Amino acid sequence: MMMCEDCGVNPAVFHFVTIRNEERTERNLCPACMAKYKRQLPGLDIKDLAGILNHLIDGGRGEREEIAPEVAAITCEQCGMTYGEFKKGGMVGCAKCYEAFREPMTALLQRIHGNTQHAGRIPGGAHSGTSIRMNIDRLKQQLQKAVAAEEYEQAARYRDAIRSLTAQLEQRERNINVPPPERIGNGADGEGADFHA
Amino acid sequence: MREYVSAPDQDVVISSRVRLSRNYEDLPFSPKLTPEYAEEVVDRTARSVFSSRNGASFMLLKMRELEDDARSRLVEHHLISYDLLKYAGRSAAMVSSAGTISVMMCEEDHVRFQGLLPGLQLERSAEMALGLDEKVGDDHPYAFDSQWGFLTACPANTGTGLRACVILHLPALVAAGQMGAVMQSVAKLGLNIRGLYAAGSEAQGQLYQMSNVATLGRSEEDVIRSLAVATEEIAGHERAMRENAEKRDMLQLQDALMRSWGETMEARLMSTKEFMKRYSDIRYAASLGYLHLPIPALDVLMMDLQPGSLGVRAGRLIGEREGEILRAQTLREELKALSKEE
Repeated sequence: MMMCEDCGVNPAVFHFVTIRNEERTERNLCPACMAKYKRQLPGLDIKDLAGILNHLIDGGRGEREEIAPEVAAITCEQCGMTYGEFKKGGMVGCAKCYEAFREPMTALLQRIHGNTQHAGRIPGGAHSGTSIRMNIDRLKQQLQKAVAAEEYEQAARYRDAIRSLTAQLEQRERNINVPPPERIGNGADGEGADFHA
Repeated sequence: MREYVSAPDQDVVISSRVRLSRNYEDLPFSPKLTPEYAEEVVDRTARSVFSSRNGASFMLLKMRELEDDARSRLVEHHLISYDLLKYAGRSAAMVSSAGTISVMMCEEDHVRFQGLLPGLQLERSAEMALGLDEKVGDDHPYAFDSQWGFLTACPANTGTGLRACVILHLPALVAAGQMGAVMQSVAKLGLNIRGLYAAGSEAQGQLYQMSNVATLGRSEEDVIRSLAVATEEIAGHERAMRENAEKRDMLQLQDALMRSWGETMEARLMSTKEFMKRYSDIRYAASLGYLHLPIPALDVLMMDLQPGSLGVRAGRLIGEREGEILRAQTLREELKALSKEE
């Protein structure tokens, strides 16, 4: 979100251009600061700007891009939410929605974050099942690429690595059914040394 | 007498906060969260948090069971988000006895873990939130995607689900008209800075909050580090501007701030808006050594005298005028006591 260049407190919704003696100045302003400038411009009535303002706010929030009807109709089988509903309300209905909306969601995440690859923590730390699954997913993609490029030796190495990781995962899942007794009443670090105000 | 711990960079940085958004993989997200599912979120989270190492220090608060002032007090002390109250029918919070860790439930996401410390202590705040997050995640699997990380109700939080934030007191940068430049430069670092309590085009109390924008594509450590570096940078500029202001005309600066102190100590009515200005002036004066007051205590007082907290302090519902009287009186007494202690 761009902030007002005058006060820096509110989001900028006006792009204000003045041309005086052939000198052009441009500013992004919030409504409050825009009102200040309005006083210096007798011919301009802030009330006339209300419509433009609403349009700008809408334009910023809804991003106003047309969603093709077939995309809007994509439905999550788990919770029944459609992509159109999601775009309207801004929130997905369940974890599976991300899978159902994978294609448009990829573009959306790219727009919001400028990135589509998670680079942070994974649940349960480095030895958890999730990290193994992530590695399997990655290797599977590599395997497909190698096969497509007819690099069969490389592909065989990926295949073996996938087998080995899958075995590890199965082993882990068998063990997980028996909870380690020391967990009970002695969980991971909660608060640690506390600050006392 | 209360004890106040001083923390790094408190002349400029009021507090550091880290929030983590998480959702359970087997339960529907916010738009589809029925009261029964919401109950389940609160129930399993509470059990898990209570069974953590410092679980006994947490208190479970269901929003629908709290009075308005008690709810506002939690927001004013930054223990819960304002948005948690939008879902007051189903939402709950767990707050540690020291107020440094809180767990919000059934807001936009199933769970939001928060670490909150005074001054610039982002790493420590993150550690506290992540520690509890890991414990709860071990008990109940979170919605997670190998490519997109932790899945949240709104895609704006997907990835690490981490939002780190510092609250800054920037009277000298504001007076020097530098906030526009500050904002433009932090935007380049993927950060956003805005008034904490915006009123028109002014940031009340010259308080600003700065936080990360994106949550996908960068590690937690990376985000925290860049926010901490930017905070130190801004704190450096603010200190330079304070020095400049003294160099330019120290007597005038002292005069303005000490008059404000004088008016505060003689005031009989004090609106919230005026209070934020007085707080800013007094905090500024204390940081320059014109007043001998502990800054951490001023920050606690600032939160304690917000409308909801004041009502809780009074122990009953109070009207606007009564609030103004009580605020002026309490402020006088507390400041008098604090200046004696120093």
